[in-house]
Amino acid sequence: MKEVIKIEGLNKIYDTGAIQVHALRDVSLFIGEGEYVAIMGQSGSGKSTLMNILGCMDRNFQGSYLLDGIPIVDQGENDLSRIRNKKIGFVFQAFQLIPRTSALKNVEIPMIYGGMKAEERKSKATDLLEKVGLGERVHHMPNELSGGQKQRVAIARALANDPALILADEPTGNLDTHSSHEIMDFFTKLNEEGATVVVVTHEEDIAQCTKRIIRFQDGQVISDEKVVKEG
Amino acid sequence: MIFENIKLAMFSIRANKMRSFLTMLGMIIGISSVIAIVSLGDTMRSVVAQEYENFGSGLAYAYIMAPDDVYTENELFTKEDAAQLKEAMDEAVTYVGFSSSSRTDVKAGRKTETISLNGLAENPTAMENPQIIYGRMLKDKDIIEKKNFVVLDSTTALNLFGQEDAVGKTVKAMVNQQTEDLLVIGIFQNTDSALKKMMSGGSFAKAYVPESIMINENSQQWALYFCMAEDQDMTQLQSRIQSYIARMKNQAVENVKCYSAKEEMGTIDTMLGSLSAVVGAIAAISLVVGGIGIMNIMLVSVTERTREIGIRKALGARTGDIMIQFLIEAAAISAAGGVIGTILGISLVGLGGMLVGVGVVVKPTVVVVAVAFSAMVGLGFGLYPAKKAAKKDPVEALRYE
Repeated sequence: MKEVIKIEGLNKIYDTGAIQVHALRDVSLFIGEGEYVAIMGQSGSGKSTLMNILGCMDRNFQGSYLLDGIPIVDQGENDLSRIRNKKIGFVFQAFQLIPRTSALKNVEIPMIYGGMKAEERKSKATDLLEKVGLGERVHHMPNELSGGQKQRVAIARALANDPALILADEPTGNLDTHSSHEIMDFFTKLNEEGATVVVVTHEEDIAQCTKRIIRFQDGQVISDEKVVKEG
Repeated sequence: MIFENIKLAMFSIRANKMRSFLTMLGMIIGISSVIAIVSLGDTMRSVVAQEYENFGSGLAYAYIMAPDDVYTENELFTKEDAAQLKEAMDEAVTYVGFSSSSRTDVKAGRKTETISLNGLAENPTAMENPQIIYGRMLKDKDIIEKKNFVVLDSTTALNLFGQEDAVGKTVKAMVNQQTEDLLVIGIFQNTDSALKKMMSGGSFAKAYVPESIMINENSQQWALYFCMAEDQDMTQLQSRIQSYIARMKNQAVENVKCYSAKEEMGTIDTMLGSLSAVVGAIAAISLVVGGIGIMNIMLVSVTERTREIGIRKALGARTGDIMIQFLIEAAAISAAGGVIGTILGISLVGLGGMLVGVGVVVKPTVVVVAVAFSAMVGLGFGLYPAKKAAKKDPVEALRYE
């Protein structure tokens, strides 16, 4: 199986001068193509730090990280931007849609930075919004959408450049139970279609929606197990 | 990508209309005042040029610089000197006379008007050629025979007699220290614009009388005024006149000064040019103030939109993309202010020109430079906020509340 994420001997130390915080200790992690993984841990367990590194937004770490075969630690800032653009689809807890910008325009953003032509972009964004069930709300502004709808726009945006990895950071953290399950169902569906999905969460029932759970504590992996589906 | 960024910039300018407008206002005021001031200067220069054009470009005057500023007979000119000079210069000089003008009250019945009475010597139309609408201009005969004739302008005639055609009426005026009755023989069209009057130092209308009644036969005058024929080489003729006067009055050539209207015009033009450049430069300081306003608002905007910057970076925006987005926004505000300011400045000058009745000169170079400068101010002052935006760390920026 081809590995999308290959991390070996990863260490991350926050140096604030007076104290050093060892956020990640000697983490090794392999996630293959088409996997559906939850990364779990309490706050302070290092999962946010890991999320930033996985998302190629932080390259100040020791160890090796290959994303879809690309070594991340050697990349320049603009190369990292390009990698984020092409390889990763982000879904955030706080949705992170650009305000006063329509759902369509929000979905177009990664394609704009990817250099896609305007017409192609628009038709793809429309298709993606239809796919997440928002075909009727293409021109709505974020503040006209419910939390669940906002997150669905974010998922559409994450899919824009056909990324190798969908990285969701507490995607249900700001949602009610109903919307949470709706969103997790989407991830499940995407995974069934072949997407590699990594969900960072602290909620057990959300983690149970995935196929594999990696638990973190004090910057270390404490367990890594397959989810056994009941029935 | 640039096109996308321009669209983005326009979008965010529109999203904060009031704020963008107020920021633009600084640029609008700066640019419009620069354009208004520089155009006003250019307009004045063109009015001056026109004035001299009307005067006849061949106009010149000569005088003898007296040692220690004590003027005696030797340094002053008589009527005879004038005649002699004209004779000697033959065709090359079309008019020689004194500059005899005095401000006088003219009366007709109970009405009084203050005018500037100008004495003209033989061949008067070479010196002054007004557009006669009633009657006629002064002729050589009137001057030789010392006729108490006057040629008035239409406005003065209207004010004195209630009608423009005042030919045949008489006015009373002080001429050569005596009150004389002057017969109006002609009326000319008053074409002076308000600005021209203002610039020529007084709002008094000109009137023409024979020079011979203004000054005594044997009086002595400080300077000779003459018109050089148009086909002459002015510089050469000037030195000819200079040396002739020197010989005639037994003076050293370097003491005889001879200036032409063209030279004077050049001096005034240079003076006006540098004046408007200096005032324009002072006005340009307001552009810098406008630029600081832009920088201020861009800094606020960058802070406000920290999260947006974080999102964009996470989604693949490079440092340069963010930088260009904010830079274009600053330049767009500034350039829009520049364009509006240009229109406002031109309309201001145009309106002013219309009020004083002068054709306004707005040089395209001034407009181009002003708009380019405003865009540069935007780029210059937008650079720091844009850099600040571009340098933001995506992780931090996404967490910004």
